[in-house]
Amino acid sequence: MAQEASSSTSSKTISLKTGDGEIFEIEASAAKQMKTVQRLIDDLGDDITIPLHNVFSKELPKIIEYYKKDITGEITKDFEAEFVKDLNDDEVKVLFLAANYLDANKLFEFLSQNIADRLESKSVEYVRKYFGVENDFTPEEESKLREERAWSFRGIKEDE
Amino acid sequence: MVVIMQEQQEAVEFHDLPEGCIENVLSFTTPRDVARLSLVSSTFRSAAQSDSVWDKFLPSDYRSIISQCDEEIDNSLYVLSKKDLYVNLTQKPILIDDGKKSFQLDKVDGKKCYMLSARSLFIVWGDTPRYWKWISVPDSRFSQVAELVSVCWFEIRGWINTSMLSPNTLYGVYLVFKASTSRTYGFEYQPCEASILIAGGGGDPVVERNVFLDAERGRRLRYQIVPRRRTGIFSRYLEPPPPPQVEQTESVDDLQKYPKERTDGWLEMELGEYFNEGGDDKEVEISVCEVKGGGWKGGLVLQGIEIRPKPKSC
Repeated sequence: MAQEASSSTSSKTISLKTGDGEIFEIEASAAKQMKTVQRLIDDLGDDITIPLHNVFSKELPKIIEYYKKDITGEITKDFEAEFVKDLNDDEVKVLFLAANYLDANKLFEFLSQNIADRLESKSVEYVRKYFGVENDFTPEEESKLREERAWSFRGIKEDE
Repeated sequence: MVVIMQEQQEAVEFHDLPEGCIENVLSFTTPRDVARLSLVSSTFRSAAQSDSVWDKFLPSDYRSIISQCDEEIDNSLYVLSKKDLYVNLTQKPILIDDGKKSFQLDKVDGKKCYMLSARSLFIVWGDTPRYWKWISVPDSRFSQVAELVSVCWFEIRGWINTSMLSPNTLYGVYLVFKASTSRTYGFEYQPCEASILIAGGGGDPVVERNVFLDAERGRRLRYQIVPRRRTGIFSRYLEPPPPPQVEQTESVDDLQKYPKERTDGWLEMELGEYFNEGGDDKEVEISVCEVKGGGWKGGLVLQGIEIRPKPKSC
């Protein structure tokens, strides 16, 4: 069994390996905030490189950046605004899914709010495209639903 | 330990998105968005029904509020899903505090609304049947309403604690009443003084305004706000000039001083507004009085004082 030695002699940092084979270091206290990672550490030990099959090198650094701030108690509204400012919709989605996979609650809640904000008052079709979801209602079901919820469509620009 | 390398794939497709994730995003939107987005797909529709979403829209203290109502109602509400409970509370008020108040949620964003029953208010001379009578009417939510027979000294006060209100909300305060079967009199020309203040605050009232509790006058004023034709002596119109109007100096803004009709058949007079920040425990005192003119007034039936959020567009 190959063991990757962590770079420091104390067990303060954990090595994480992404699905595309890159390795990142994270402090143990930050790793604790991601329940999936912590469970893996509990099972495999903290000297092992923890494999994260569903998280990739594009997004993991951003997640690590968030939790680095979290453990120093420095997460502010300004930081969070800055954190998502330059992210496009796809990037936010990827981070959101990763946070879900990692069971990183604080980030997950924050991104849920951010996505909700991005979808505010958007049309049903827009939301379908955003999530890459197919409309699986029959035309009858859909028109019945629309009728029942007519009040909720007032003032919404439906872009179909 | 064998590390299994997955094929480099595009980020997990969203239709693999667990329903729990959708629920979480929905819980950060609004009841209206949730209702609308239930049309996105069947998974969204399912997520839109979930208790975890609607639990977030219900006020955090809803359990303790509901437990203050009649046991039978409490039990019937208890078995509902959170969504049905929310919808129920937006559609119909429940009586709490021994029938002294009613509670409801505002349909748009679930904020708390209350009506203080006439019985819970401080009404000067309220216990003297010559001046005020207590009666039951079928279209009131409370078991009793107060009928003003006749008084000189008209003074009504009510209180509500800010901890009961939703945070970060602008509330409007309304006197809910109607004309009794005998004619309303004494309120047409003499305004009442309405005020909202923090009890014990020692500071200035939050709001103070003059209001006329005369619906007839308000109705007449409303119908007068039409473009006026010139009716001077050089008028070329053949019809006689319109009859002289009582309130020639009043304008649309003054409509604020008169009662409006409610959808439940009662009238309401806006007494003022109060912005509740939240997180504190202050008594808001609401009062409406006419004690300076000395004239006799009567012919009103008072249901209570309603406190509800003002729509954001106002």
